[in-house]
Amino acid sequence: MKSYFKSVLTITIITITAGVMLALSHNATKDKIAYQERQEVLNALKSVLPLHNNEPDKDIILKDGLKVFVAKKDGEVTGYAVNVIETSGYGGAISVLTGVDRKGLITGVAIIYHSETPGLGDKIEDKEFLQSFEGLKINDRIAVKKDGGSIEQFSGATISPRAVAKAVNNSLKVINEAAGFSK
Amino acid sequence: MEHFLLLFLGAALVNNIVLSRFLGICPFMGVSKSSETAVGMSLSVAFVMTISSTVSFIIDKYVLIPLGLENLRTIVFILIIAALVQFVEMVIEKTLPQLYAGLGIYLPLITTNCAVLGVALLNVQYEYTFLEMIVFSFGTAAGFGLALVLFSLLRERIEHSTVPKYFKGMPIVFITAGILSLAFMGFSGMVK
Amino acid sequence: MIKNIIMNGLYNNNAIFKQMLGLCPTLAVTTSALNAVGMGLATTAVLTGSNFVISIVAKYIPKNVRIPSYIVIIACFVTIIDQLMKANMYSLHKVLGIFIPLIVVNCIVLGRAEAFASKNKPLYSIIDGISVGLGFTLALFILGSIREIIGAGTFFNMPVMLSSYNPLLIAILPPGAFLFLGFIFAGKQFLDDKIQGEK
Repeated sequence: MKSYFKSVLTITIITITAGVMLALSHNATKDKIAYQERQEVLNALKSVLPLHNNEPDKDIILKDGLKVFVAKKDGEVTGYAVNVIETSGYGGAISVLTGVDRKGLITGVAIIYHSETPGLGDKIEDKEFLQSFEGLKINDRIAVKKDGGSIEQFSGATISPRAVAKAVNNSLKVINEAAGFSK
Repeated sequence: MEHFLLLFLGAALVNNIVLSRFLGICPFMGVSKSSETAVGMSLSVAFVMTISSTVSFIIDKYVLIPLGLENLRTIVFILIIAALVQFVEMVIEKTLPQLYAGLGIYLPLITTNCAVLGVALLNVQYEYTFLEMIVFSFGTAAGFGLALVLFSLLRERIEHSTVPKYFKGMPIVFITAGILSLAFMGFSGMVK
Repeated sequence: MIKNIIMNGLYNNNAIFKQMLGLCPTLAVTTSALNAVGMGLATTAVLTGSNFVISIVAKYIPKNVRIPSYIVIIACFVTIIDQLMKANMYSLHKVLGIFIPLIVVNCIVLGRAEAFASKNKPLYSIIDGISVGLGFTLALFILGSIREIIGAGTFFNMPVMLSSYNPLLIAILPPGAFLFLGFIFAGKQFLDDKIQGEK
């Protein structure tokens, strides 16, 4: 009985000590972690949105459960961005962030995460591919060349670029409704 | 329904836990020498994995998240798994002594089977609902079992083949695993 | 003594090449040299910390709750490293992802706690932790470099191959991890054999 008590006591002391240590380290790091996570979002937004000096991650319109980020310069709207997760990639979900200017022309597309095949499908991260979306708008046919659009697909992989094109199309629809652009 | 079937196939075949996510390699290499122990190991892992994921999921959702203790996840999950393994070990020892003798030291090793903890953590990371979580955990366990049993059958054949001198032992085992993994890559793109 | 501990950790009893422990992270995160080194150093930090604490407290822990106690101590260190990495090395943390919390179940860490730290003085345990950890890092680094150079034509993200080199993709795909580790093991057996032959 005595040894049983000792076991329970030991494990309790160890667990409590571990809990205290973790609480301390959590307190010491949580602000920095929150800062890093936010910085990542802001950096991605900065790369797709036109010039702005507000905080787009706080200036949002909710539309169909998606957050539409609004970019403003000196209080005036300069563009919108939305993050869409497209599940029809080859390796699974692809998270795409699309930004437009205030007329609805695409200013930038960024891939937040994906699990496409290295060396083939992961070329969707290439600058040239992502830049080929710039300047397009909702009524343009945004699709890979194989599907009659203007986006260059790359050899060996059509599914990944097609999924990105689909995500960009969906993003534009959401932004259009949220911002109330005329068709 | 289709959604769950795809989730199951995705977890079992496309993103096979051993061959594409690299979790649970230790038992994969350790207990695959004979197909008999491989089957036993697969079953106990499937059992522990499904139950521990469920318990972890419930505790995460109703205790850790409301209390804002997400940073304790790793420590809490591993304790749940350790306790469950101990429990399963006792049950098997009482009810199936033969299986217990066969699995021997590998049962306690499930505690340090990263696949079990990995699935519990992945469930949280992917923000699954309760049903999705069950299907995913079970699919993963099925994938683990499939890979383990197939691999043990292959290894039984290697025993009787001529292997180049310096490839004897572990090297040929790893290369076989690589080829099996290559075969499983054929499943990717199957689930859209 | 100290020299022995260091040699055992780094080479003679290398966790990967000799004992085949901790294979999961070895296969999973070695798609590039940088990831491999990051993972190796994170494991080294956990290993050193847990070895130190366990060598101090081991004699007060009753035998029957030994393993759960060790696991709690290890999990505590892992969570702290996890948070520190997330705060200071955010992008590396994102790549290594789930494999950081999984250091908890890395057999090397529990193995050293049980086989070394619980029986030795704190100073020796720290040295053991560092050497075994660096031995592990070295193994990851070798595999990571080979896979990155062959599979992507780069080394620490710097191009090292001729521009006409067409990367052999399989090296960084999952099957490549198994295949290349198999070849490395075969190479080691070949070397060991040659060294023995000379003696």
